[in-house]
Amino acid sequence: MSILIDQNSKVVVQGITGAQGRFDTRYCLDYGTKIVAGVTPGRGGAEMEGVPVYDTVKQAVAASGATVSVLYVPARAVLDAVLEAVDAGISVILATAENVPRHDAAYAVSAVRAAGAHLIGFNTNGIISPGKCKLGGIGGDRPDDIYAPGRIGICSRSGGMSAELSLAVKQAGFGISTCVSLGGDPITGMRMAECLAMFEADPETDACVIYGEPGTDHERTVADALRRGDITKPVVALIAGRFQEAYPKGVSFGHVAAMIGTDDESASAKRRMLADAGVLIADSLENIPVLLRKAGVEPTLDRHPADA
Amino acid sequence: MDPIQAADHARRFGGAAVIKALVPAGRRGKAGAVRLVDGPAEAQSATVDLIGRTVADHVVDTVYVEERVAIDHELYVSFAFSSITPKVIVSKAGGVDIEQTYKVAPQTVAEASIDPRRGLTSWDAIDLWRRAGLAGSALPVVAQVTAKLYAAFRDADALMLEVNPLALDKSGKPHVVGAMMEIDDNALFRHAGWREEARASGRADRPLSERERRVIEADRTFPGGAVRYTELDGDIGLFVAGGGAGLLQHDMVVDLGGRPANHTDVSPTPTLDKPKAVFDAILTNPRTRGLLIGYNYLQMAPCDRVIEALLEIVREREIDTTRFPIVIRLFGPEEERARALAAELPGVQYLPSGSPLVDGVRSILKAVEEASAREAAQ
Repeated sequence: MSILIDQNSKVVVQGITGAQGRFDTRYCLDYGTKIVAGVTPGRGGAEMEGVPVYDTVKQAVAASGATVSVLYVPARAVLDAVLEAVDAGISVILATAENVPRHDAAYAVSAVRAAGAHLIGFNTNGIISPGKCKLGGIGGDRPDDIYAPGRIGICSRSGGMSAELSLAVKQAGFGISTCVSLGGDPITGMRMAECLAMFEADPETDACVIYGEPGTDHERTVADALRRGDITKPVVALIAGRFQEAYPKGVSFGHVAAMIGTDDESASAKRRMLADAGVLIADSLENIPVLLRKAGVEPTLDRHPADA
Repeated sequence: MDPIQAADHARRFGGAAVIKALVPAGRRGKAGAVRLVDGPAEAQSATVDLIGRTVADHVVDTVYVEERVAIDHELYVSFAFSSITPKVIVSKAGGVDIEQTYKVAPQTVAEASIDPRRGLTSWDAIDLWRRAGLAGSALPVVAQVTAKLYAAFRDADALMLEVNPLALDKSGKPHVVGAMMEIDDNALFRHAGWREEARASGRADRPLSERERRVIEADRTFPGGAVRYTELDGDIGLFVAGGGAGLLQHDMVVDLGGRPANHTDVSPTPTLDKPKAVFDAILTNPRTRGLLIGYNYLQMAPCDRVIEALLEIVREREIDTTRFPIVIRLFGPEEERARALAAELPGVQYLPSGSPLVDGVRSILKAVEEASAREAAQ
């Protein structure tokens, strides 16, 4: 198993005829993702990478039975695209757009939640259930170099760090059930704690690795979930951005979201908060697999010779 | 406005006016940037005095003149974003810092999340103000204003709107006496008229440097993902990318005893304009004594484009790479071509494929140290 997406997920791509949409679609198809439809208003009836294109998501869903949508729609138009996907009954939405206007993002998240759907992003490079399905640019044209199938769930604020975390555990013999890049914008549709709750419920995930940054309250919700006992599987966390504490609050150094707003949003405070709740705090990428072993999690990659 | 215009405005208000220095900073009253005047002549001299002054690191170049109202009661209202929803905070005790109010009189403060699909209705606002202890005839009036302020916050694409104080005069009429609003840069496409003004405002703690301004300008002008460049007081130039990997490498520099000259975040872009602007800023910063190009393992964007941008700026600025250390940790698509391009610059270290992030940091610190030692020996 895996979370959110697997080998049976049927995917529609909104904005499939744009450069990025087409590029990622090619690599996702190569990986085995079942992309069954594309949407670009005005291009209905066309075909892109062998995928039929429709004018609306509703048409695409009716024709293909898709339940997952990937949005290659620019930030200024992404709210509409999310609402259209929700309206068409899509249950998992992935939005790559970066720097989405904050009010639009909040509105989109509210609509997605009200519909009981899941939104990954904004500003995500994707999600991958290795060997089964990938959405977005994650892994590029060589996903197997980085993401091996296995039993570790990864949840990262940063797409780039998704790759570094996955490589670090792979080099130590651990594979991945699903790796989710939550997105680097200040508002993301999924909370880290929600992602971990899904991994908790997934019988094929043994432990989770999370990557966090200053800003936002993702880690606080994770700590709360652990304290409540909602999450019992081992969690290893790498939290970057301690250097920011030497500078004034409110200065953003990376992702816009990675900005210390209040004292408990600093990297050090998050590390303390997570450690107090029982999360294992990694000092470096190389330290992550060490902590996984310490928590009793066994490497499994020898059981997946196909991926060696 | 200029001193003569300020005097005119004061005259129109019947003499009693408030002159405020227009700078993007809070607590202006405490900084002496708000003057109460009693006539056109006073308004003029106060304006003359304020213009050219420095308030919270910003030079005052204009003032705002408003009518002076006889305040009977001061309230507080603000809107901002919490994790995923807009949030409103109100207090019956306005006029002072809200943090202070919350400490000494928490019962006068109420807050609520706002569902953006619903907005803030006037009856939501009545409920909120009741929780903050407001009652009587002021309640509907203040609630009405609060609902309107939320609409303004939303329509302006504001990230923050603080009204402090929201004043009631003797007749119970509300006045927005002090207001600060921060507009979402990412929504400026909906507010063309504000683009120019947004350009001028800087960081919260200091004005932007010329190089930082140039990067912001490039970021707004050219296509592709966002680039950011923030100068710091060290000497290690960081061209680090991928948000998270950049933060992690910055931590490593500090942990290993180095001091970055800047921080960056660079997303892939279809043209070289943005990365070139960032390279140019780093390499023309007189503090920079070495450059680390440190990326996370690239999954989509080609490596060679980054090095193309580097080559152009190194050549344009005539950087001697045998004396100015450059370390590259950049793996992924088109890596071979990137290596070939980098090899055109003598002295540049391109780390072996698969080297951990920390190796790039170690290498640049060592190279800068060695370069300094060589310089000192000469």
